[in-house]
Amino acid sequence: MTAKLRFFARFRELLGTDILVPVREGVTISDLVRSAVSGNEGGYAAIFDENGNFREFVILMRNGKRIERQDTKNTPVQDGDEIAIFPPVAGG
Amino acid sequence: MIKVQHEDVDIARLIQDAKRAGTGAIVVFDGIVRDDDIREMELEAYREVAVPELERIADIAMAKFHLIHVDIIHRIGRLAIGENILVIVVSAGHRKEAYEGSRYIIEAIKAGVPIWKKELTKGGGRWVPGEHPDRSGKTE
Repeated sequence: MTAKLRFFARFRELLGTDILVPVREGVTISDLVRSAVSGNEGGYAAIFDENGNFREFVILMRNGKRIERQDTKNTPVQDGDEIAIFPPVAGG
Repeated sequence: MIKVQHEDVDIARLIQDAKRAGTGAIVVFDGIVRDDDIREMELEAYREVAVPELERIADIAMAKFHLIHVDIIHRIGRLAIGENILVIVVSAGHRKEAYEGSRYIIEAIKAGVPIWKKELTKGGGRWVPGEHPDRSGKTE
């Protein structure tokens, strides 16, 4: 099983456009992202706080739909999921 | 027409096409790269989500303000000072609906469509702070 992590704006500059990651049965969105970015000190610090939680301003989407930060701790990743992680939007 | 694209926009053509039956007012919003001591601006989008979200905003605005026609074209890529970033063309029977519909659309775009801007300066670049949907008005 694999999932795609997509990063945008400042997070993309730090972590790359997207990462294809293997998915272990039952792993949560939060744990998957934490594991995937843990080797990148700057990227990790941009997304996670000192307690390992998503920073308050981080926005997440699963397959194009918003997912609340607290829900990422108990939502398992499915095969083929696309998880987008980005800072507050600034279009217009 | 709802698009996220690199190419510039022919605003005169959009205005002409927006003159549908019943139109009494057309409001054009043209967001432009401002000279804030920058060289250029770079825009990126989560296009697969941004386009449906723009379509949803247009649908809501049309119903809420009784609009006759809506165009939203948001550009991405590198833009020079003075270039068009975002063009919104709204037609309605009367000016009140046209102004209010246009205002609704630009505020909704700023609040929730996944598009980002980076100001490129002589010394590097800086991301324009955005608004977080859970903390209206606050930035990262």
